[in-house]
Amino acid sequence: MKIIRKLALGFAVAAATHITYAADTGFDMQTVDPEADRIALQNYYKSRFPNTEFADYVNGIYSVDADSREQWVELEEFPPYEFDVEKGEELFNTAFANGKGYADCFENGGIGIRHKYPYWNKEEGTVKTLEQEINECRVKNGEEAFKWGKGPIAQVSAYMAWTSRDKVFDIQIPADDPRAKAAYLEGKKFFYSKRGQLNLSCANCHLQGSNIRIRADLPSPQLGHVTHFPVFRSKWGELGTLHRRYSGCHKDSRSNPLKPQAEEFRNLEYFQSYMSNGLVANGPGARK
Amino acid sequence: MNKGLIIAAVLALAPTFAAAESFKDAFEMNRAMYGKNHTFTWQGKQYTTMHEEEAEAAVKATKANAEALLAKAKAKNAEVAKLGYEWKLTRGILTNAQTAIDKGEYRKALNLAAQAKYHARMGIQQYHYAQANWYLAVPQ
Repeated sequence: MKIIRKLALGFAVAAATHITYAADTGFDMQTVDPEADRIALQNYYKSRFPNTEFADYVNGIYSVDADSREQWVELEEFPPYEFDVEKGEELFNTAFANGKGYADCFENGGIGIRHKYPYWNKEEGTVKTLEQEINECRVKNGEEAFKWGKGPIAQVSAYMAWTSRDKVFDIQIPADDPRAKAAYLEGKKFFYSKRGQLNLSCANCHLQGSNIRIRADLPSPQLGHVTHFPVFRSKWGELGTLHRRYSGCHKDSRSNPLKPQAEEFRNLEYFQSYMSNGLVANGPGARK
Repeated sequence: MNKGLIIAAVLALAPTFAAAESFKDAFEMNRAMYGKNHTFTWQGKQYTTMHEEEAEAAVKATKANAEALLAKAKAKNAEVAKLGYEWKLTRGILTNAQTAIDKGEYRKALNLAAQAKYHARMGIQQYHYAQANWYLAVPQ
């Protein structure tokens, strides 16, 4: 009897280890804890790059690689996105054919609101992004939607980001709607799932691979990823949106890429933006 | 030392230490070392290092055989696409396989269809692996 009791205790200890592990990882609706994820991510980077201040992660790879930063600081003396911000302002302030404009579609006339995106829309039961609502505004007012990815959509978004600089991200996951948490979890799962012929996840390059060379490139840290979008990438030679970048990354792993604003990408943006809570909006940015 | 605890710990950890080389591990190691058409022994039986698609392509190069394998490859790719794990180059390979059939190059078509089907099958495996293991990379 004594042996049975001891065996039972032993199994209980072994089982408890697994239960605790599951609770920590937060990989299902019962255990996922966005705030624990965010803190764990910050701690990961604190340990990985002890000399980088939390606030500096808004600068992507330039927060952790001194040589790249030096070049970027020079580039920022004459920011390559400046003309796009001006064009974006012009587009933003040009009335639609019906006399209305973007300011009529957004809170606070669309000024200083970038850091509130993406958000969970309870009525529609989905994550809404800024670019998505820019196009919805156009369609609602009888205009054609812009093409996703680059051009005018990125310019309007850049202007709106510009008016939001230094405002702190505080993305919410409403507790009264479990679908919001499910969308966050899907985004998190997407980030950590390996895909494509090269068998790479977002995390392989932008978590474990942060600042580790992939041929000539240094992948940026996941922390602060979304804060500086849209970005003017030297590789593109123009401005582009976050979802354009997502599609590019997807292709780089030799996956058949999803379309910009696909639900999976919006959930990914939701997860990534939540991870950047506490950081400021600093878009548009300039990147290699 | 508490004997009950020790026995329980040993029982709990036993699968970790006792796990023999799986067929998948044996196949992949032999494939990596010797390429296709190599014979190896696993648990007393002999196997070859052919992927299932290579075996499917090793048939007479006829139009009917090429079309049949291409149809299988397309179906498998539709399956992986539905899961969201389609690989980037697969559709192009399927197109090239069809072009080869149209030109009467049935051997080439069989090989391309086999490659596309392999991509799709691997994508499906990748999906199931991700479903079960994605969380392992999350910082704690």
